[in-house]
Amino acid sequence: MKYLIIIPVYNEEQNIIRLIKSLKNNKYDFLIINDSSTDSTEQILKQENVKYINNIFNINYSKTIQTGIIYAYMNNYDYVIQMDGDGQHPVSELIKIINAMKKNRTDIVIGSRYICKTSYNCPITRRIGTKIFEIIIKLFCHQTIKDPLSGFQMINRDVIKEYALMENYPEFPDANLLIEMIKKGYTISEVAVEMKSREAGESMHGGIIKPVKYMINMFYEIFFILITTLINKKKVTK
Amino acid sequence: MKNIYFIIISVLFLIYVTIEIKKKKLSIKESFWWVIASLIMLILSIFPYSIDYVAKWLNISYPPSLLFVLCFVFTLFIVFRNNKKISEQQEKIIELEQHLAIIESNNHEKKKN
Repeated sequence: MKYLIIIPVYNEEQNIIRLIKSLKNNKYDFLIINDSSTDSTEQILKQENVKYINNIFNINYSKTIQTGIIYAYMNNYDYVIQMDGDGQHPVSELIKIINAMKKNRTDIVIGSRYICKTSYNCPITRRIGTKIFEIIIKLFCHQTIKDPLSGFQMINRDVIKEYALMENYPEFPDANLLIEMIKKGYTISEVAVEMKSREAGESMHGGIIKPVKYMINMFYEIFFILITTLINKKKVTK
Repeated sequence: MKNIYFIIISVLFLIYVTIEIKKKKLSIKESFWWVIASLIMLILSIFPYSIDYVAKWLNISYPPSLLFVLCFVFTLFIVFRNNKKISEQQEKIIELEQHLAIIESNNHEKKKN
């Protein structure tokens, strides 16, 4: 079985060395995808002599993840584990996700902060947002996903293919993508993991406007996914 | 006689579109709707009362409003079509970038080994 850990990074010069050091201590392949950072992230990746992809220009977080998935698809990896480059996802928790994938045999395994009480200190606004999407998923997909906004995920070969060939891979691949995958018949499970708060640098959801834009975008995409699914269902029944 | 200005404008616009096609700055496919628009402009300049007949036929009491509606619909159509093309091209550019970045990374790895 071939495993690949993919880490999208953008301006993570303060976090990346620590992450690389802990990744080098595990047996799995890892690939860092640098989304054309403007700081010294690329120089660090060169110095550390790790496998990395350097985007020619900034293509945003989700497309950077998709680049890693395309790489995994082209190189016949069986599983992809997606981690954030800001140090939020401890490498020591990888084994929990891998074991859950082996045990549950679902297509996607999500590393969740909210199944058990963890030391992760979640901002109240983020917790409210997560709860809203949990309710939406429960309402339309009849499945409970406690942490649909988690970026700590593992996907199998079928999902790798689906994501790699997806023409409109969403700008924010969170609850909207999970709903789409459930509607397409893929299975999802969760496992409790520990997460840390961002160690240094700036979050892509920082400020006031970005989270508002994020929520509007998510609702809009979920609405379209549900409409499309409904139309496709009607076509099949006809 | 007033119509002569509109006829000149229409003809000049038609010539401009043709020159742009010849210079290969505008593809034949993309020029189609602009040629149609300039031909309609030309017809309306030569036969200005034709708009009255069409308005009467469509039951529009104020004929110039038909002209505005036509212009608005045409502009909206072109803007939407361009927006669609931009979205398609954006997706294609990112797809190209992703593949190019992967190829470059593979070449880099080969050189290292």
